[in-house]
Amino acid sequence: MKKLLIIDDAAFMRLAIRNMLLNYEIEISGEAADGAIGVEMYKQLRPDVVTMDITMPKMSGLEALKAIKAFDPQAKVIMVSAMGQERIVKEAIISGAKTFIVKPFKEEHLYQTICKVLGI
Amino acid sequence: MTLSQKGVNELSNPYVNEPMLDLYIFESMQLLEQMELLILSNEKSSSYASEAINEIFRIMHTIKGSSAMMLYNNISTLAHSLEDLFFVLREDEPRNVDYSELSDLVLEGLDFIKVEIHKIRNGDEADGDATGLIESLRVFHATIKGSDFKVEDQNLADGAVSHENRTPEKQQYYISKVRTETTSLRNTFQATLRFEQDCGGMENIRAIVVLNDLADLMEDYYHLPEDLENEDSARIISEQGFTLFLKTDRSLEEIHKVLIETIYLKDLQLTNVENSELFNDLHQEREILLEDSSVKLPAFSSRDQVPNNYEEKEFHSGANQPSIISVSVAKLDQLMDLVGEMVIAEAMVTQNPDLKGLELNNFEKAARQLRKITSELQDTVMSVRMVPLTGTFQKMNRTLRDMCKKLNKEVQLQLIGQETEVDKNIIEHISDPLMHLIRNSIDHGIEMPSEREIKGKSRLGTITLEAKNAGGDVLIIISDDGEGFNKDRILAKAREKGLIQGSEEEITDKEIYNLVFLPGFSTNEKVTEFSGRGVGMDVVVKNIEAVGGGLAADSVPGKGTTITLKIPLTLAIIDGMNIKVGDSRYTIPTTAIKESFRPKITEVIVDPDNNEMMMVRGQCFPILRLHDIYHVKTDVTHFTEGIIIMVEQDNKTLCLFADELIGQQQVVVKALPEYIQNMKKVRGLAGCTLLGDGSISLILDVGGLIGYRQATKV
Repeated sequence: MKKLLIIDDAAFMRLAIRNMLLNYEIEISGEAADGAIGVEMYKQLRPDVVTMDITMPKMSGLEALKAIKAFDPQAKVIMVSAMGQERIVKEAIISGAKTFIVKPFKEEHLYQTICKVLGI
Repeated sequence: MTLSQKGVNELSNPYVNEPMLDLYIFESMQLLEQMELLILSNEKSSSYASEAINEIFRIMHTIKGSSAMMLYNNISTLAHSLEDLFFVLREDEPRNVDYSELSDLVLEGLDFIKVEIHKIRNGDEADGDATGLIESLRVFHATIKGSDFKVEDQNLADGAVSHENRTPEKQQYYISKVRTETTSLRNTFQATLRFEQDCGGMENIRAIVVLNDLADLMEDYYHLPEDLENEDSARIISEQGFTLFLKTDRSLEEIHKVLIETIYLKDLQLTNVENSELFNDLHQEREILLEDSSVKLPAFSSRDQVPNNYEEKEFHSGANQPSIISVSVAKLDQLMDLVGEMVIAEAMVTQNPDLKGLELNNFEKAARQLRKITSELQDTVMSVRMVPLTGTFQKMNRTLRDMCKKLNKEVQLQLIGQETEVDKNIIEHISDPLMHLIRNSIDHGIEMPSEREIKGKSRLGTITLEAKNAGGDVLIIISDDGEGFNKDRILAKAREKGLIQGSEEEITDKEIYNLVFLPGFSTNEKVTEFSGRGVGMDVVVKNIEAVGGGLAADSVPGKGTTITLKIPLTLAIIDGMNIKVGDSRYTIPTTAIKESFRPKITEVIVDPDNNEMMMVRGQCFPILRLHDIYHVKTDVTHFTEGIIIMVEQDNKTLCLFADELIGQQQVVVKALPEYIQNMKKVRGLAGCTLLGDGSISLILDVGGLIGYRQATKV
């Protein structure tokens, strides 16, 4: 089973993503409420894929993405963005994020995105 | 939410379940409260601290995202407007901001979202219309932007462009790996991709992702629209699709396989371009263009730029499970109920009538252990339910602010002891009464600043909100330094409404002040926007009484008024003394009992009106025969045969006469059945409980009994 790490400061979004993937063969191996914690958890858990929120209080998603990519250039990170974050998403893609998804998104799109990133 | 949207919500968001909705409500409300505090504390300093602006921006961003996921579009749109506004404040640091107006607008927005979330919580549709407010925000946004008015105006109206887009310098990252020789051996393909409407915009970035996916497979490429950095390109792709010409040594199938995996792909056309002339033409054209502009090479890996200072940051190892979980109050209520049942069951076992007269040493030991654990369990459950008053108290800042603004008064709020904890259920009951009392204080108590100056007070009025523990109760004291109650007006009004029984000479000042709590009393002839809706004080009293609390008022003319709320720490389980009267059982809360004793007949005095009194250590206390007031048949009617229990509340003492004491135990307070409450008002009862032997005991309300004795005395 592929492992997913959710990095998002909103508990609601973490639960939303978890619920959406409930019926799929994806294991949520961890949840982090901040970028810095997320990076540390990535190092420890070595998940197959990461969903990364952008706006977070201490360390932003973009910084966390860069830190994860520095640690593991093969890291597969999906940016979870919202309307109005085009510039940051673009920068994230350039910095090595595999793709992105825009809130609000549906279950099937999240799953497809993850599958595609994982190559399954 | 319209009906169709609701349909969407149910059909295509099957993952939205109850815990999620709860979490949405919980998290959003928490964020909103945090934001309200930020606004109120920053408003005082007449400008917003940059951390506050950042924080509010982030909060609005989170709410926007969550609300969009839940399909509450009105909330999401409003949050987006607010987010935009704070983005400008953060990035441009404009000087000409009217922070007072800003606070008004933001608080209005906050209230709107709160109301919508309340609707959601109650299972209603979040159907509020925020367009007016969004328009006001837009105008405000435009004013602080000054000369940019028109441009910004247009952009916001389109909704197409948003804050984060306004990149200062144009960046161009994506160029193909320009090979010097283009060999004609390669295949040339033309691909046109269309994305689904609900992909959330940013089609240009989706196109960039497509290019990334193909990066290793392509020798050379060219795409339309040409400039994917341009904001317009998202719209163009959305309308006309993204067209890519590529040269590759891979087969059509291989390329197709990669492209068809594209997320949010609506349709894909991939064709072999026989005539590679076209490609070469485009290619040349582009190369000329590229020579003119300084183009940055893509920085796919930015390993060097990553700061390495995360190590010391807090990290809970294996923190899959958060150390704090949120539990719905309903579950806590259920748990409390169960613990209550268990306390009863424990009593039923340990005090079982079958055990009477038996010598059971081991059983006693085990029973003691059971009792100890039950009581620990109960304490723990209680402590879980205890919540500090902080949130409730802090909310009053907002009430104060709004009132002062409308009435042009200057008042400060002092909070003391806000860390005092009370049961969660009780908190919900006292929030509204507190708000009403604070409004009353500002509206009727505190004078206008000019008036205060004439009286020699400082312009700034003070309201103090204090909480403290007192035995099994929590006292909440609201005092102001306003003009105080007008005794004569209260008296006149009470007389007019027929609220005074007996002669007016006997009434003490304190009793006069407490007349304001009687139903149907309101001294304010003018009904203002904030207080005196005719229901005010009534509702306050009802709410407080509903949780078993009480109110008292005191006032010094010209100096101010103090209103004291006395509320029990908890509702559910109390320490009680069980007593027997005839065949009936009663329970008295032990916190109210001062002492109990078997009286001597010489200590009893009877006054000419046949009122019985008890002399204790030189002081005289009234006696109330329980069998008398509850019409219970008993053989014990002589004081010397029974027992006197001296109880006290609010510095008033009363002696209760009963047959005998049964014993002390923890009892679970159950409300009297509704049909009894509806049929007649039984005085002096706080509820009922189940005893260990299965019999029902009535819990006495000491305050009520003292009032009863006083009423019958006159």
